[in-house]
Amino acid sequence: MEDMITCQEALARVYEYLDGELSPEWTEKVRRHVEVCRRCWPRFEVERAFLDRIRERGLPAARAQGLKERIVRLLDEVEDSD
Amino acid sequence: MTDVDRDRKTAQFEAEALAHLDDLYGLALRLTAGDEPRAEDLVQTTCLRAYQRWSQYEVGTNCRAWLMTILRTTFINDYRSRRQRPTPVDYDEFAEWSVFEERSPDDPEARFFERIVDARIVAAIDALPDEYRLPLILSDLQGLKYREIAESLGVPVGTVKSRLFRARRQLQRELYDYARDAGIVS
Repeated sequence: MEDMITCQEALARVYEYLDGELSPEWTEKVRRHVEVCRRCWPRFEVERAFLDRIRERGLPAARAQGLKERIVRLLDEVEDSD
Repeated sequence: MTDVDRDRKTAQFEAEALAHLDDLYGLALRLTAGDEPRAEDLVQTTCLRAYQRWSQYEVGTNCRAWLMTILRTTFINDYRSRRQRPTPVDYDEFAEWSVFEERSPDDPEARFFERIVDARIVAAIDALPDEYRLPLILSDLQGLKYREIAESLGVPVGTVKSRLFRARRQLQRELYDYARDAGIVS
Protein backbone atom coordinates (compact mmCIF):
# COMPACT_ATOMS: atom_id res chain seq x y z
CA MET A 1 0.00 0.00 0.00
CA GLU A 2 1.26 3.46 -0.86
CA ASP A 3 2.41 5.52 2.10
CA MET A 4 0.21 8.42 3.13
CA ILE A 5 1.85 11.83 3.22
CA THR A 6 2.29 13.51 6.60
CA CYS A 7 0.27 16.36 8.08
CA GLN A 8 3.27 18.62 7.65
CA GLU A 9 3.56 17.76 3.96
CA ALA A 10 -0.15 18.39 3.47
CA LEU A 11 -0.23 21.67 5.38
CA ALA A 12 2.81 22.96 3.55
CA ARG A 13 0.73 22.74 0.37
CA VAL A 14 -2.60 24.01 1.69
CA TYR A 15 -2.78 27.10 -0.52
CA GLU A 16 -1.45 25.45 -3.63
CA TYR A 17 -4.08 22.77 -3.13
CA LEU A 18 -6.91 25.23 -2.57
CA ASP A 19 -5.73 27.31 -5.53
CA GLY A 20 -5.75 24.25 -7.76
CA GLU A 21 -2.06 24.65 -8.53
CA LEU A 22 -0.72 21.27 -7.44
CA SER A 23 0.18 18.58 -9.93
CA PRO A 24 -2.49 15.89 -10.36
CA GLU A 25 -0.22 13.52 -8.42
CA TRP A 26 0.16 15.83 -5.43
CA THR A 27 -3.46 16.94 -5.55
CA GLU A 28 -4.44 13.34 -5.08
CA LYS A 29 -1.92 12.77 -2.26
CA VAL A 30 -3.14 15.81 -0.36
CA ARG A 31 -6.77 14.99 -0.97
CA ARG A 32 -6.33 11.45 0.34
CA HIS A 33 -4.58 12.65 3.46
CA VAL A 34 -6.99 15.46 4.24
CA GLU A 35 -10.15 13.42 3.80
CA VAL A 36 -9.15 11.03 6.57
CA CYS A 37 -7.08 13.28 8.84
CA ARG A 38 -8.90 14.51 11.92
CA ARG A 39 -6.50 17.40 12.31
CA CYS A 40 -6.01 18.48 8.70
CA TRP A 41 -9.56 18.25 7.48
CA PRO A 42 -10.95 21.04 9.73
CA ARG A 43 -7.86 23.12 9.07
CA PHE A 44 -8.22 22.86 5.31
CA GLU A 45 -11.90 23.67 5.59
CA VAL A 46 -11.39 26.85 7.59
CA GLU A 47 -8.62 27.99 5.26
CA ARG A 48 -10.93 27.37 2.32
CA ALA A 49 -13.76 29.28 4.02
CA PHE A 50 -11.41 32.19 4.61
CA LEU A 51 -10.36 32.34 0.96
CA ASP A 52 -13.98 32.09 -0.14
CA ARG A 53 -14.88 35.07 2.00
CA ILE A 54 -12.04 37.20 0.59
CA ARG A 55 -13.03 36.23 -2.93
CA GLU A 56 -16.71 36.97 -2.35
CA ARG A 57 -16.26 40.24 -0.50
CA GLY A 58 -12.93 41.66 -1.53
CA LEU A 59 -13.94 43.34 -4.77
CA PRO A 60 -17.05 45.46 -4.44
CA ALA A 61 -18.10 47.58 -7.41
CA ALA A 62 -17.89 51.31 -6.70
CA ARG A 63 -19.24 54.49 -8.22
CA ALA A 64 -17.13 57.58 -8.76
CA GLN A 65 -19.16 60.75 -9.07
CA GLY A 66 -19.00 62.31 -12.51
CA LEU A 67 -16.47 59.83 -13.82
CA LYS A 68 -18.62 58.63 -16.69
CA GLU A 69 -19.22 62.19 -17.87
CA ARG A 70 -15.50 62.98 -17.73
CA ILE A 71 -14.68 59.90 -19.75
CA VAL A 72 -17.28 60.66 -22.41
CA ARG A 73 -15.79 64.14 -22.75
CA LEU A 74 -12.31 62.63 -23.07
CA LEU A 75 -13.47 60.28 -25.78
CA ASP A 76 -14.81 63.22 -27.77
CA GLU A 77 -11.33 64.74 -27.73
CA VAL A 78 -9.64 61.56 -28.95
CA GLU A 79 -8.02 61.93 -32.32
CA ASP A 80 -9.46 59.83 -35.02
CA SER A 81 -6.93 57.00 -35.34
CA ASP A 82 -9.15 54.37 -36.91
CA MET B 1 -13.90 57.64 -40.17
CA THR B 2 -16.86 59.88 -40.80
CA ASP B 3 -18.58 61.84 -38.07
CA VAL B 4 -21.52 59.48 -38.28
CA ASP B 5 -19.26 56.47 -37.80
CA ARG B 6 -17.51 58.15 -34.89
CA ASP B 7 -20.77 58.96 -33.19
CA ARG B 8 -21.85 55.39 -33.64
CA LYS B 9 -18.57 54.11 -32.25
CA THR B 10 -18.83 56.37 -29.23
CA ALA B 11 -22.43 55.43 -28.65
CA GLN B 12 -21.57 51.77 -28.90
CA PHE B 13 -18.61 52.16 -26.58
CA GLU B 14 -20.74 54.02 -24.06
CA ALA B 15 -23.41 51.38 -24.13
CA GLU B 16 -21.14 48.36 -24.01
CA ALA B 17 -17.93 49.37 -22.28
CA LEU B 18 -19.00 52.13 -19.92
CA ALA B 19 -21.68 49.83 -18.55
CA HIS B 20 -18.81 48.21 -16.63
CA LEU B 21 -17.48 51.39 -15.12
CA ASP B 22 -18.40 50.53 -11.54
CA ASP B 23 -16.61 47.20 -11.77
CA LEU B 24 -13.57 48.87 -13.30
CA TYR B 25 -13.48 51.54 -10.65
CA GLY B 26 -13.90 48.88 -7.94
CA LEU B 27 -10.83 47.02 -9.20
CA ALA B 28 -8.88 50.25 -9.64
CA LEU B 29 -9.54 51.12 -5.99
CA ARG B 30 -8.07 47.84 -4.78
CA LEU B 31 -5.03 48.07 -7.05
CA THR B 32 -4.31 51.59 -5.78
CA ALA B 33 -5.09 50.64 -2.15
CA GLY B 34 -8.11 52.91 -1.96
CA ASP B 35 -6.58 55.99 -3.57
CA GLU B 36 -9.62 57.52 -5.27
CA PRO B 37 -7.91 60.10 -7.53
CA ARG B 38 -5.39 57.54 -8.75
CA ALA B 39 -8.12 54.99 -9.26
CA GLU B 40 -10.13 57.43 -11.36
CA ASP B 41 -7.05 58.25 -13.46
CA LEU B 42 -6.47 54.57 -13.99
CA VAL B 43 -10.04 54.02 -15.15
CA GLN B 44 -9.84 57.00 -17.50
CA THR B 45 -6.59 55.77 -19.05
CA THR B 46 -8.08 52.31 -19.39
CA CYS B 47 -11.18 53.60 -21.15
CA LEU B 48 -9.12 55.72 -23.51
CA ARG B 49 -6.98 52.71 -24.45
CA ALA B 50 -10.00 50.51 -24.84
CA TYR B 51 -11.67 53.10 -27.04
CA GLN B 52 -8.62 53.35 -29.24
CA ARG B 53 -8.51 49.56 -29.53
CA TRP B 54 -12.26 49.18 -29.90
CA SER B 55 -11.91 47.73 -33.37
CA GLN B 56 -9.93 44.85 -31.81
CA TYR B 57 -12.77 43.98 -29.50
CA GLU B 58 -15.34 41.53 -30.75
CA VAL B 59 -18.78 42.87 -29.94
CA GLY B 60 -20.76 40.39 -27.90
CA THR B 61 -17.76 38.61 -26.37
CA ASN B 62 -16.74 39.24 -22.78
CA CYS B 63 -16.32 43.00 -22.73
CA ARG B 64 -15.96 43.19 -18.99
CA ALA B 65 -13.05 40.72 -18.96
CA TRP B 66 -11.38 42.55 -21.86
CA LEU B 67 -11.61 45.87 -20.04
CA MET B 68 -10.43 44.45 -16.71
CA THR B 69 -7.40 43.00 -18.47
CA ILE B 70 -6.52 46.38 -19.96
CA LEU B 71 -6.92 47.97 -16.53
CA ARG B 72 -4.73 45.38 -14.83
CA THR B 73 -1.96 45.58 -17.40
CA THR B 74 -2.06 49.38 -17.41
CA PHE B 75 -1.63 49.46 -13.67
CA ILE B 76 1.01 46.75 -13.46
CA ASN B 77 3.16 48.10 -16.28
CA ASP B 78 3.20 51.45 -14.57
CA TYR B 79 3.91 49.82 -11.21
CA ARG B 80 6.78 47.82 -12.65
CA SER B 81 8.36 50.82 -14.34
CA ARG B 82 8.16 52.88 -11.15
CA ARG B 83 9.58 50.14 -8.98
CA GLN B 84 13.35 50.59 -8.98
CA ARG B 85 14.30 47.71 -6.78
CA PRO B 86 12.30 45.53 -4.45
CA THR B 87 11.11 47.74 -1.65
CA PRO B 88 12.03 46.21 1.71
CA VAL B 89 8.79 45.04 3.20
CA ASP B 90 8.31 45.46 6.89
CA TYR B 91 8.22 41.76 7.44
CA ASP B 92 6.72 40.49 10.64
CA GLU B 93 7.67 36.84 10.77
CA PHE B 94 5.12 36.11 13.45
CA ALA B 95 2.44 37.14 11.01
CA GLU B 96 3.22 33.93 9.16
CA TRP B 97 1.75 31.87 11.93
CA SER B 98 -1.79 31.14 11.03
CA VAL B 99 -4.41 32.30 13.49
CA PHE B 100 -5.93 28.87 12.99
CA GLU B 101 -2.98 27.41 14.83
CA GLU B 102 -4.00 29.41 17.91
CA ARG B 103 -7.67 28.79 17.55
CA SER B 104 -8.84 25.28 16.88
CA PRO B 105 -10.73 25.09 13.57
CA ASP B 106 -13.49 23.27 15.45
CA ASP B 107 -14.01 26.35 17.59
CA PRO B 108 -16.94 28.34 16.15
CA GLU B 109 -14.98 31.52 16.77
CA ALA B 110 -12.46 30.31 14.23
CA ARG B 111 -14.96 31.53 11.62
CA PHE B 112 -14.53 35.10 12.88
CA PHE B 113 -14.06 36.34 9.32
CA GLU B 114 -17.66 35.48 8.47
CA ARG B 115 -18.84 38.05 10.97
CA ILE B 116 -16.74 40.93 9.77
CA VAL B 117 -18.38 43.47 7.49
CA ASP B 118 -17.24 43.82 3.91
CA ALA B 119 -15.79 47.28 4.40
CA ARG B 120 -13.34 45.97 6.97
CA ILE B 121 -12.26 43.12 4.73
CA VAL B 122 -11.67 45.57 1.92
CA ALA B 123 -9.76 47.92 4.26
CA ALA B 124 -7.54 45.05 5.40
CA ILE B 125 -6.71 44.19 1.79
CA ASP B 126 -5.90 47.85 1.09
CA ALA B 127 -3.60 47.90 4.12
CA LEU B 128 -1.34 45.19 2.72
CA PRO B 129 1.93 46.43 1.23
CA ASP B 130 1.96 46.48 -2.60
CA GLU B 131 4.14 43.42 -2.89
CA TYR B 132 1.64 41.26 -1.02
CA ARG B 133 -1.56 43.01 -2.08
CA LEU B 134 -1.02 42.77 -5.82
CA PRO B 135 -0.53 38.99 -5.99
CA LEU B 136 -3.54 38.59 -3.70
CA ILE B 137 -5.71 40.76 -5.93
CA LEU B 138 -4.58 38.98 -9.07
CA SER B 139 -5.14 35.54 -7.56
CA ASP B 140 -8.18 35.89 -5.34
CA LEU B 141 -10.01 38.80 -6.90
CA GLN B 142 -9.13 38.25 -10.55
CA GLY B 143 -8.70 34.49 -10.68
CA LEU B 144 -5.29 34.44 -12.32
CA LYS B 145 -3.07 31.35 -12.01
CA TYR B 146 0.38 31.55 -10.43
CA ARG B 147 2.11 31.44 -13.79
CA GLU B 148 0.00 34.32 -15.12
CA ILE B 149 0.70 36.37 -12.01
CA ALA B 150 4.42 35.63 -12.29
CA GLU B 151 4.50 36.77 -15.93
CA SER B 152 2.42 39.80 -15.16
CA LEU B 153 4.60 40.97 -12.28
CA GLY B 154 7.88 39.82 -13.79
CA VAL B 155 8.83 37.58 -10.86
CA PRO B 156 9.40 33.82 -10.49
CA VAL B 157 6.46 31.56 -9.63
CA GLY B 158 8.15 30.74 -6.32
CA THR B 159 8.03 34.41 -5.40
CA VAL B 160 4.33 34.56 -6.23
CA LYS B 161 3.68 31.57 -3.98
CA SER B 162 5.56 32.98 -1.01
CA ARG B 163 4.02 36.46 -1.35
CA LEU B 164 0.54 34.99 -1.64
CA PHE B 165 1.18 32.87 1.42
CA ARG B 166 2.29 35.90 3.42
CA ALA B 167 -0.52 38.10 2.08
CA ARG B 168 -3.13 35.62 3.23
CA ARG B 169 -1.54 35.07 6.62
CA GLN B 170 -1.22 38.78 7.20
CA LEU B 171 -4.82 39.32 6.17
CA GLN B 172 -5.97 36.63 8.59
CA ARG B 173 -3.92 38.21 11.34
CA GLU B 174 -5.29 41.74 10.63
CA LEU B 175 -8.86 40.59 10.58
CA TYR B 176 -8.41 38.42 13.66
CA ASP B 177 -6.91 41.32 15.62
CA TYR B 178 -9.77 43.50 14.49
CA ALA B 179 -12.30 40.84 15.52
CA ARG B 180 -10.74 40.65 18.98
CA ASP B 181 -10.69 44.43 19.39
CA ALA B 182 -14.28 44.66 18.22
CA GLY B 183 -15.35 41.93 20.62
CA ILE B 184 -16.45 39.64 17.81
CA VAL B 185 -14.23 36.96 19.30
CA SER B 186 -13.21 36.57 22.90
